[in-house]
Amino acid sequence: MDAFLAFFTIFTHLELLLLVGLGTFAGVYVGAIPGLSVTMAVSILISFTFSWDVLPAISLMIGIYMGGVYGGSRTAILLNIPGAPSAIATALDGYPMAQRGEAGEAIGTTTVMSFFGGLIGIGVLALLAPFVSDFALKFQPRDYMLLAVLGILLVGSLSSGSLIKGIFAGAFGIAIGAVGMDPLTFTERFTFDIPLMRGGINFIAVMIGMFGVSEALMQLHHVNKDAVRQQINRIVPSFGTIKKYLPLSLQTSSLGVIIGALPGTGGDIAALMAYDHAKRVTKNPERPFGEGAMEGLVAPETANNAAVGGAFIPMMTLGIPGDAVTAIMIGALFIHGLNPGPMLMIEKPDMFWFIVGALVCANFFMLLFGLTGIKLFTKIVEMPRAVLIPLILLLSIVGAYAVNNSITDVYWMLGFGVIGYMMRHYGYPLGPVILGVILSRLLDDNWRRAIISEREDLGRFFHGIFTSPLSLVLFMAVVLIFVSQTPLWTKFRKKESS
Amino acid sequence: MKKFVIGAVSALSLMTSAAIAQDYPTKEIQGIIQWGAGGSTDTVMRAVTPHAEDVLGGTVVMQNMTGGVGAIALNHVANEDADGYKLLMGAENPLLYKVMGLGDKDYSDFVPINILARGTAILVANNDAPFDDYAGMMAYIAENPGELRIGSTGPGGLPSVVTAMIETVEGELDVISIPYDGDGPALTALQGGAIDVMPAVLGASIEAIKAGNMKPLAIMDTTANEYLPGVPAVTDFNEGFATYLPWGPFFGVFVKQGTDEAIVSKLQGAYAEAATNQDFVDLMASRGFTLMNISGDEAQSFLTKWQQGTSWLLQDAGLTKASPEEFGIARPGE
Amino acid sequence: MNHEHVHDESHEGHADAQPGGLASERRPGELAFTIVLVAFSGFLLWEAYGISGFEALSGPGAIPMATTFVMLVSAVILLFKAARLKLTADETFMVDITPPLVLVLAAFLVVYGLLLKPLGFLPTSALFLVASIKILARRSWGFTITVGLGSLLLIYLIFRIVFSVLIPAGIIPEAEIIQFFRNLFAGGA
Repeated sequence: MDAFLAFFTIFTHLELLLLVGLGTFAGVYVGAIPGLSVTMAVSILISFTFSWDVLPAISLMIGIYMGGVYGGSRTAILLNIPGAPSAIATALDGYPMAQRGEAGEAIGTTTVMSFFGGLIGIGVLALLAPFVSDFALKFQPRDYMLLAVLGILLVGSLSSGSLIKGIFAGAFGIAIGAVGMDPLTFTERFTFDIPLMRGGINFIAVMIGMFGVSEALMQLHHVNKDAVRQQINRIVPSFGTIKKYLPLSLQTSSLGVIIGALPGTGGDIAALMAYDHAKRVTKNPERPFGEGAMEGLVAPETANNAAVGGAFIPMMTLGIPGDAVTAIMIGALFIHGLNPGPMLMIEKPDMFWFIVGALVCANFFMLLFGLTGIKLFTKIVEMPRAVLIPLILLLSIVGAYAVNNSITDVYWMLGFGVIGYMMRHYGYPLGPVILGVILSRLLDDNWRRAIISEREDLGRFFHGIFTSPLSLVLFMAVVLIFVSQTPLWTKFRKKESS
Repeated sequence: MKKFVIGAVSALSLMTSAAIAQDYPTKEIQGIIQWGAGGSTDTVMRAVTPHAEDVLGGTVVMQNMTGGVGAIALNHVANEDADGYKLLMGAENPLLYKVMGLGDKDYSDFVPINILARGTAILVANNDAPFDDYAGMMAYIAENPGELRIGSTGPGGLPSVVTAMIETVEGELDVISIPYDGDGPALTALQGGAIDVMPAVLGASIEAIKAGNMKPLAIMDTTANEYLPGVPAVTDFNEGFATYLPWGPFFGVFVKQGTDEAIVSKLQGAYAEAATNQDFVDLMASRGFTLMNISGDEAQSFLTKWQQGTSWLLQDAGLTKASPEEFGIARPGE
Repeated sequence: MNHEHVHDESHEGHADAQPGGLASERRPGELAFTIVLVAFSGFLLWEAYGISGFEALSGPGAIPMATTFVMLVSAVILLFKAARLKLTADETFMVDITPPLVLVLAAFLVVYGLLLKPLGFLPTSALFLVASIKILARRSWGFTITVGLGSLLLIYLIFRIVFSVLIPAGIIPEAEIIQFFRNLFAGGA
């Protein structure tokens, strides 16, 4: 029980408390700027905090992580440019709200819901970590593949225009994700014998191009139109509002924790799945999805922040990273002389409770920084477009470059910007492209692992699905969602041919 | 007159090169890490470099550049100026690029600054596997052909070399080889039962072994390991392995061939001192790595020997795309 | 035909969930775009077949072939749909799809890409920001240069100093300058 007291360490040491606060504050901005990622920031912090003690170093990293996951929503809402992949779904309904002048309300709700999701994630980490990690380990390649298929079916809810255009966009995304040297067999795919293409196309560059550059070019159509005035008197959502979304956010938070705890999937997939879930269970949204539905904000934001706590679960219990950021944190713990692994919980349980405490603390700071300074942020969208557009373009360029220090990525980013611009004009949704890129490796690698495990025998493959309860549940979900989309599909077809 | 000019020019160039080395570094040095953030190479480099910075009196900005089994990073540094401001921080993989058809450059285009440490391979198995040691595994494979699932990390990776070694010594193995993109994900899959056996580097599995989350079958070495006493060496089961052992992956820092010698020796001095730092030594020990800290001719001959042995092992196992002969890599002992 | 052009934004798509395009008519250039998609998908399918053919279900080319096949089929369907629609009468390509401003900015971006390596990040970005703000805002040079360089400095500080992103230096030895200041501070401390 003594170990549990470490939970309070963070609250009783002013220096640590300030570091978490500083980290969270910085994280919000890191997350908001496309191209600056939490992964990058935490890597840099390893060198920066090298000579520090382990507790202050971890405090700062946890702050950045929490703040960064949340920060991605800012630019998604205000500029339609997700600051991080986990905020893609947030743009879908957040940006339409900003266009109605409700950016303040959108950000306020997002903040409170992120806080809520974050708390659920931490709660599960604190109370159920061993169970969840046992469950996460049970996922076989077959199950990851089914999860990817489930993800791909989200194309349906991400493309509210023409479903066929959405399917094209999704398949295009999967193909983009396959470019480069296949990491399993080192076969070159879509590289056209160009050595630079062996490394593949960086998907952050695709995202920045598709959303950032194409949005900037789109805005050129009405440079001289006045920016939408934002009302910022209603920021904190009322208690009634929170209560109304409580059931939904509990569901999407749980989804977020699990997806976050699975090694190999993270907040980006969690947020998209949560959006889809919200669309499915919300019978009568006040506004249709895609036009500023609150549920469309609540779901992805609770899920991606809940995924943070989830990602720590396999890290703390098994020494297995739940995502890229926790992978770096494991490295950091090593460098600071700890041995993250299954023994850490047994030998140093106080470390576990300290991290839980720091996460809780970072979560409160996120709420604080999220609800203040909104005025400053909304000023960005009220800037004259003639200045805003060149700045977005330059930030997109620097962001794409910064990901891998590569000018090639800048060219990719610009190329995808132009493609995205044309796609928007002709009614192709861009979300499915990014969804495809995110899921490409998950689907491809795990399909191949699964079928190799069964010695290329499809019969054995399906036998495996029907004899494993987990696979069976996932398979049923795939079938159910697919079938539920079929009448929708006919409806779309009718709409298109009319 | 001509002689004087030549003399003056060479004196000048000598002077400037000495001056360059003296001032070095006048700006940030960039360290390109071949592998992703959080991996073994990343951890080793980020742990040693700050100590080298102190000796150098400069800043080394480290960046991860992944892709193409590290070839993207290697080619990136090889295409930059040999001015000593770009370091390549890598592992053993580039020595196999040529025979695996992954690129036409390897460490022969670079000067080793320091080969920091070497890892030891170990065979680990899922706790539910129906055998407890190497001999049991071989018996199981013989009785159940085509059933055992062994993890791999693609051609040329550590598991493929270990598997090639076993096949050379024991003869063809009828197993299923399941590819993962790194030993981290593969060891996770091992614990979840997606694969039965994994040849891994000791450091990546040592904590899970100590916690009883996976069981060790044999250390791929000629003697038991001090960090994991009680686990038998593979040569205890079959003497034939002695020919190929000790063998293991390694981590090293490199600069492009043609870098000013004074700069090279300054960097070598810095890393050599950094590698003796107690924190770093402890970190290497806790991860089960054998500290090497070698440079110059010693490092060069280590690289040559490693490349010869491993290339020909893979060649004889039929895993290469091109014969080592084509690149002038001699068969070991020739 | 009504020649007075009324710009209708609904075709452009406000957010990703409300993509642009017209439901019942074809926008200018849409047919050509769809043809390009069909050709591109076909080419990729051919490339995907070349990866590993029908060698094995687990081949590295299996998923690429499946996805490019889906791309090709959906692109062909979209081509038929687009071909059946009537071209809209009140839009033209040069006004509604690629108006002059878009072309100019796109050209700026291409020039930026070409100059980035030889000239370096700071001069290229300064030129880009000043030129595009001047063209878009049509304000005084004083305003343009202050806003352009000011925001560039901010971006530079964040990425270069805080995040140590080593941007192409080009003609300005900015790394040496930074080191100079570092030494200055280190000396002073």
